[in-house]
Amino acid sequence: MAGELEGSKSLSGLLSGLAQEAFHGHQGITEELLRSQLYPEVSLEEFRPFLAKMRGILKSIASADMDFNQLEAFLTAQTKKQGGITSDQAAVISKFWKSHKTKIRESLMNQSRWDSGLRGLSWRIDGKSQSRHSAQIHTPVAIMELEIGKSGQESEFLCLEFDEVKVNQLLKKLSEVEESISTLMQPA
Amino acid sequence: RPGPGGARPLLVAGQLIDFQWKLGVAISADSCKSLKLPCVTVALKVADGSGNITCKTFEMTVPQFQNFYSQFKEMASVLETF
Repeated sequence: MAGELEGSKSLSGLLSGLAQEAFHGHQGITEELLRSQLYPEVSLEEFRPFLAKMRGILKSIASADMDFNQLEAFLTAQTKKQGGITSDQAAVISKFWKSHKTKIRESLMNQSRWDSGLRGLSWRIDGKSQSRHSAQIHTPVAIMELEIGKSGQESEFLCLEFDEVKVNQLLKKLSEVEESISTLMQPA
Repeated sequence: RPGPGGARPLLVAGQLIDFQWKLGVAISADSCKSLKLPCVTVALKVADGSGNITCKTFEMTVPQFQNFYSQFKEMASVLETF
């Protein structure tokens, strides 16, 4: 039975299932589901520690955001450990991380964002007409609608009206934000 | 009539009376030890027609902020052409 676990064929599928459950919040992926689908010849008692080991490895790699050098070093160390992984398995894990890294990192980042985020934005320009008795007509205003929400909660909508003066005032502030971001992103 | 989004109920537009921002970097989290995630947090003060003021805060990742900024610039340039 141990031979089944050492093979690397089903490992790719297992890592996908683990990623879905651990990072992407997929609810229904149980130990038993993974075992019966991918390692039907293996008993649950033997499968459990194997699953835990793979989950641990995947989480370590994702949590540390390993680059390829770190990944190779880490996986090599795992192959040398007592009760570690085989070099075939290391190759499967490496391939998996390389192709799923971006998506997994994105999910992890979203897991740590608990405050309201900007979900959507739309705008239009309205030509406000004043009374025909007034001297000024057709003062344009910009109407912007922001969709804001916390993870797992319904959106809230915020509607704002801007005239040209207000828009320019806000643009000035936004350019300050951008400058700040540029300074941050500059290599140390 | 529908709001700019289309099917949602009409919202009465408020006036933005204050806009505060900060740029932070989330370094580490329970779910992810090495995060290094820059985040722009914005605090708005909005006055409705009756003078009631509400405060709203929300976050944006850098790409989201870039989009927000470019939408604003586009809106400004269209407004200018009227």
